[in-house]
Amino acid sequence: MEDLEDLYENAPCGYLSLTPQGLIAKSNATLSGWLGIPSEQLIGKRLRDLLNVAGSIFYETHFAPLLRMQGFFHEVALDFVTSDGTLLPVLANATEKRNDAGDLLFTRVTLFQATKRRRYERELVEAEEAARRLGKLREQFIAVLGHDLRNPVAALHAGINMLRREPLSKKSLQLTEVMQGSLARISELIDNVMDLARSQSGTGINLSRDANAPLEPVLRQVINELAAAHPDCTIEDEIMLEEPIHCDRKRMAQLVSNLLSNAITHGASDHPVRFRASTSGGELILTFANRGDPIPDEVMSHLFQPFFRGRTSTSQQGLGLGLHIASEIARAHGGSLDVQSSSDEVLFTFRMPLIWHEGPVGVR
Amino acid sequence: MVFAHGFGCDQNMWRLVAPAFEADYKVVVFDHVGAGHSDLSAYDPVKYASLQGYADDVVAICRELGLSEVIFVGHSVSAMIGALASIKAPDLFDSLVMVGPSPRYIDDTDYTGGFTAPQIDELLDSLADNHMGWSAAMAPAIMGNPDRPDLAAELTDSFCRTDPAIAKAFARVTFTSDNRADLPNITARTLILQGSDDIIASERVGEYVHAQVPNSRLVYLKASGHCPNLSAPEEVIAAIRDFV
Repeated sequence: MEDLEDLYENAPCGYLSLTPQGLIAKSNATLSGWLGIPSEQLIGKRLRDLLNVAGSIFYETHFAPLLRMQGFFHEVALDFVTSDGTLLPVLANATEKRNDAGDLLFTRVTLFQATKRRRYERELVEAEEAARRLGKLREQFIAVLGHDLRNPVAALHAGINMLRREPLSKKSLQLTEVMQGSLARISELIDNVMDLARSQSGTGINLSRDANAPLEPVLRQVINELAAAHPDCTIEDEIMLEEPIHCDRKRMAQLVSNLLSNAITHGASDHPVRFRASTSGGELILTFANRGDPIPDEVMSHLFQPFFRGRTSTSQQGLGLGLHIASEIARAHGGSLDVQSSSDEVLFTFRMPLIWHEGPVGVR
Repeated sequence: MVFAHGFGCDQNMWRLVAPAFEADYKVVVFDHVGAGHSDLSAYDPVKYASLQGYADDVVAICRELGLSEVIFVGHSVSAMIGALASIKAPDLFDSLVMVGPSPRYIDDTDYTGGFTAPQIDELLDSLADNHMGWSAAMAPAIMGNPDRPDLAAELTDSFCRTDPAIAKAFARVTFTSDNRADLPNITARTLILQGSDDIIASERVGEYVHAQVPNSRLVYLKASGHCPNLSAPEEVIAAIRDFV
């Protein structure tokens, strides 16, 4: 048989019973041991006498009223002061014991040591605070990129354009072209990093949708620009858009540009990259296909993560944001971006609903 | 009669007292901004950086409800809030009932508030850094918890809901306030209810308030602790009845 007296005295938790006046009437050996105060010295004290000052103010202003009003409190965090002055963090439960007439007889308090839990909670709070600071830093980072970095790029761009109107040697003219290309690349990188920062900050990529303006000319321009930049590569396209599309055309151009660039970079140079755009079944479907090595399984699962750079040689490496941002643009449109890889073809497929309804993104 | 709650709780603080006066008075209970069911979006850190901000709310409530000859019953810090309101709008208030008032919690030369500045700092630190006492009992009730509807349901009828962030600011305002100079300017007749063995507002503090408020009466309650309105409502009701 279990020895109930011993169970009380040496339970793996502390016990206190308080009189209706709030004085300690009984406590167990476990609690005495924790506090380093003999049980007989605890009798007649108030619970708050065992707490630090902050805790006692807390107790009087919060937990004592709560106990009176609802007859119990649960999981209250308190700091006891032990005989050698150190703090003993505990979690306390309390219930009032009343007689049939409703008179308060005792308040029973059960205490559990919570040193490690408290430390863990503090660490959580600190981590939350650190995350908050980081979030703020990111906001500033976006602002710096968006403004402070773009202005000098624009100035350089204008400067080079003015230079090109001056009489220049052939070599200088070529140099200015290279410089313009580099500046365009810098602008693109800034855009990508800003998009990443936005998509990671939880707000997602903002869209300005317009179903009235045609998408095809935008797509054609992207294809032409890429074809011009990669004269060795052939881009075969097939564009059949017969219905209005509720999309952000600038973002669609970005998506197509990112995915076509990816196909050109990774595709076999002796085979064309094939791009197809169509509307059917209430969806816009874009496909990007290239010949080349299949994508290894271990790469597949990381493909859309930011800063992921696959099997490219160093000279081809960008920031590794292109596919991530394309997938974010797809998500913002309530659409999807999938990839299939076989031995002879890598195929990216983007789908989105033609009609956009106000409401949660992606609910279909 | 307007009943105002103090730091740490909400209008539930008066649930055992206020109903006793409903037959004879128009009874008004309310939650300060940040507590109970108040509109948290109405919290303005600048306005509520001093007790005057809360006092202005009391005046606004009285004006909005067209009250006159108000008997203002304030617990703890709301005793001082009521004092400030009555000084600002003496025409509105007939009398003040202060339950456990303290014009200043921190000791000063020739004044015993009951706490040293480091102790109050410790309290404010533990509110600012150590949230625990708070989050354990309060936060789930206030925040709601969309991922745990069972938890939310369990806590919907919780008492003394307080927004943690606002409570921190309210604690700072409360425990660093000094309204000693305001006490002599109170013109309303005033009842001071002093609990026995109240560590938040000691008897010495109650006696100080009595000495400083011109037209005041001090009544010692048998009830112990800082919340006689909960622990001994009959005694509090009787004392208020006797006064009004």
